[in-house]
Formats: sequence, C-alpha cells, structure tokens
Amino acid sequence: MRHPTDGTLRRLVDEPAGVADAERAHVAGCPVCLAGLAAAREDAAAVGAALDVAVTADVDAAWQRLSGAAAVQGRRGAATAPGRRWRALLRSPVIAAVGAVSLLLGATAAAAANWLPFFHAERIAPVAAPQADLVKLPELEDFGELRITEEIRIRQVAGAAAAREASGLAVPRVAELPRGVTGEPAYHVLGRVSGTFTFSAAKAAAFAAAAGQTLPPPPPGLDGSQFRLTAGPGIAAVWSQGRPVPAMMVGRAVAPSALSAGVPFETARDYLLSLPILPDNVAAQLRGFSADGTTLPLFMSVENMTSRPADVGGLPATVFTSRDGTVAGVVWVDRGVVTAVAGSLGAGEVLSVARGLRWDR
Amino acid sequence: MAGSTPPGRAAVRPDLEQLFRAAYPRVVAVAARVLGSRTEAEDVAQEVFLTFGRSSVPGGQAVGWLCVAAAHTALNHLRSGRRRASREEAAGGGDPVYPDVADTVVTLDERRRVRAALARLPRKQAVALVLRHSGLSYAEVAAALDLSPASVGTTVRRAESALREELNRHASSD
Repeated sequence: MRHPTDGTLRRLVDEPAGVADAERAHVAGCPVCLAGLAAAREDAAAVGAALDVAVTADVDAAWQRLSGAAAVQGRRGAATAPGRRWRALLRSPVIAAVGAVSLLLGATAAAAANWLPFFHAERIAPVAAPQADLVKLPELEDFGELRITEEIRIRQVAGAAAAREASGLAVPRVAELPRGVTGEPAYHVLGRVSGTFTFSAAKAAAFAAAAGQTLPPPPPGLDGSQFRLTAGPGIAAVWSQGRPVPAMMVGRAVAPSALSAGVPFETARDYLLSLPILPDNVAAQLRGFSADGTTLPLFMSVENMTSRPADVGGLPATVFTSRDGTVAGVVWVDRGVVTAVAGSLGAGEVLSVARGLRWDR
Repeated sequence: MAGSTPPGRAAVRPDLEQLFRAAYPRVVAVAARVLGSRTEAEDVAQEVFLTFGRSSVPGGQAVGWLCVAAAHTALNHLRSGRRRASREEAAGGGDPVYPDVADTVVTLDERRRVRAALARLPRKQAVALVLRHSGLSYAEVAAALDLSPASVGTTVRRAESALREELNRHASSD
C-alpha cells in the first residue's frame, strides 16, 4: 500500500485510535513511515513544550468580572434605551457603511454616534481625538428627547438578489477576495430607521450643570423644536468565518440625514458647537467642515486609529487603519449612499477590494 | 452569520453562566498557549465571552466557537505585541536576551521565538495547532475549523514543522 500521509502519521502520535488499522499496520512495518512518525513525535513534543503554559484559572473571580462588565452594559442600556439603539445601529454590520470603524473596534465611535443624524451626508471626514475626549461627547438624549419611530430591524437574507430586492440598493460584487478571506458572504439587510428628536433647553442645562458648566441661552426657536432623523435602508455582505471580528465586510446604506421641523440646521449646529461641554479639539474639527451640514463625521480615537484620504472610482474616500495594523477600512459617499469595505485586512487590501467592486444595476 | 449580535438591545444570553463555568478554563488555556501569559489570556477570555454573551451561537457549538474565537483574538493581540517588541528591539539596538545567563532565560527566549513564529504562520495552521495542543480532539478541531479530520493532522503537522524549524534555526545560530 501507499505510505500514509504526514497528517496520518501526526495523528498516530496523539490519537492513534483515529487511524485505520491497515495504516497502523503499514507504519509498524515500514522504516520510512517509522522515521516520519518519529520526526512528527519529536516536533510535536518540542512545540508542545514551547507552547505549554501552566494556567490555573479562578473561574469564580473571572465570572464576577464578566458579570460586572455585563451589568454595567445593562445599566447603561436601561438608562438610555433609545440612545442605545442608535449606538447599536452604528455597531450593526449594515451601518458598517457608516461606522465601519466603530463596528470593528467597539466603542471608539459609539459615544459620538448620536451626532451623526444632525448632518446630511454627502461626504465623510474623520474627526480624530483622544479616546478620553470621545467618551466625553454628550449623547443626543442629554439635550432632549429621542423617540424612535422606525425600530432597527436587521435580518439575514438568502443572497445578493434578496438583499437588493429588500433594500432597493445595488449590491456590489467583490471581483477578487483578498488572501485569507474565503467562502460565501452572509447577506444582511437593515430596514429604514427613523426617530424624532425634540430639543429641550431644560434638559441641556441640567446636563451641563451636572458637568459643572453653564450653557449659553439657546437661540430663539430651538427649545422644543423637532428634528426628524433617518438612516438606511442598508445591506452588508459579511465574510465572518466564525470569528467575532469578521474577516471582511462590504456594506452600503442610505446615509443618515436630518430634517428640521423648526430651526435651520446652521442655527442648531452653531449653538451645539459653541457649548463648553464639547471637547475643544472635537468642536474645532467639526466646525472646520460642517459649514453646510453635508459632511458626515466619523469619530476615531487617535490612540487606536489613523486615517488618510484616498479615492475610489474618482470619489473622495477615507482610509482607516488601526495602529496595530490588524484592521483597516475604506468608506465613501456616492449620491447619498455610504459604502464601506472593512476587515482584518491591510489598507492596500481594502482599497483594492473597494476599487474592484462590480455593480449590477 | 451564526454569531451575529441580535439587533437593538444586546441582551445577554440566559445560558451564559453555565457555559462560562464549563468552558472558561479551556478558553483561557487556548489564549495562554498563544500569548504565553495568564493575565493576557484572561483578558482575551473576557473579551471573547462578552462577545459570546450577546451572540446566538447554539449551545452545542459553544466550546468550539469560544476556542476558535480565543485563538483568533489572542493571535491578533500577539501580532500587535510582536510589532511593538520588534520596534523596541530596533530602538534599543540589540537583543535584550543574553544566551548564557540561565536555562530559564533560554527557555523564555525559545518561547518568545515560538510565539513570533506562530504569529507568522497561516492563520488556519496557527489556530489548528493551538486548539490541538489545548486538548481539543481531531474531530473537535475539524468541526470548529470546518476541516476534515484527516486534514487536521496535515495542518497541525505543517505548523509544527515550521515552528520546529524556527526553534532549530535559532538554536544552531547561537
């Protein structure tokens, strides 16, 4: 018979019962295979010794730590449920298109998520600040009342055609998968999400007072004025390969926008940017590009992320890279639709995927 | 996606504590094999269980999913840590480990080399290797990584051969 494979010899080292009798009999009488088996045994032992670590885990203490972390999340959720939904939205695969970075890296952009609906997105610009400043950003609910009118609904669909039909968005095809990304993606569809925000001068003042600040009086008409906020629908193709952080995702969504029922956008913006509770560096960056309210800010912490401008198909795009080099994304806006490619990839890889997307319109 | 976070409120799954108590030592052991540090491994385990707690991974697949997630997360940490270490070495202008100090130092150095090599392996090889050395059976590794049991042996063998080469290369160059 033929010699068993190296893989079979390896299994003989530590799980011989899993190897067929005939193969075991062959190896026992074959000098070539016995030598191969000895080499496999030596390599396994040497590597095993080098990797071995004596670990005694204190399960009780670890459980307390985990349930403590979960409880903190739960309390925050109970206190600010609608705001939390908006943050969850930004973390969903679909709104990867809007917040690829927040999805992949967790909380960095989440604290700032509620600002997005104030801007009607035609382009995207990064806002970089230390993480400590980002978590200080107020949430929408600190300034009034947020009422969700269309809840977040995300569902998996059978394939690209179903995603296109459910969302009304063109679903791009990836021409060539980067090395290490394999298989077929799972397709997710996000329905439209909307809410109404009512500004409350009293609530804003109370929030500022808690932070030891006094707010300037709001401009006439802002107190009690309403804003209608919408985002989506959207789609995402996710290559997850069983990992908590997907290998790659391609997402698109109708960009967030806001309709004001009362004051003009500029009035609200100028007031919000003048507030002493916004970190100066964040306010300055927002002020720099928010002249007409068409630039979507993507918040990122300077400790974790870097960004640089690029272009995709002639449109301006922003490339994000985590400083440890493990995650990258590129995001751009085309006629009110945000598209993003992100994953456990390099900047060159996400750009190459983005530039190679094929569109069936 | 089986492990996706449910939309809206991220409710913690009710079987979390039971699965945590059953699988935690194993998840830590997987991460520790990659990282060589119990503290870092426990951090990785917390991260993995927090993600798992909000997921809808079926209970029957939980251990495999958790171990794979721990291996990937730990390898990601290792990759970034390795880069830091190599920058420090470059800045310091020399290898901080001297060959003849003590056996323990040599062992530490060996461990450091094997982990650097682990970070350079193809991801599937690295994960299969770590899972097998953490005590998962061939069938369990195969199920967790979507491989056939026969190719688990081949994958693990390749990884060991590459790591062994790395160890020998440095041993003979000292």
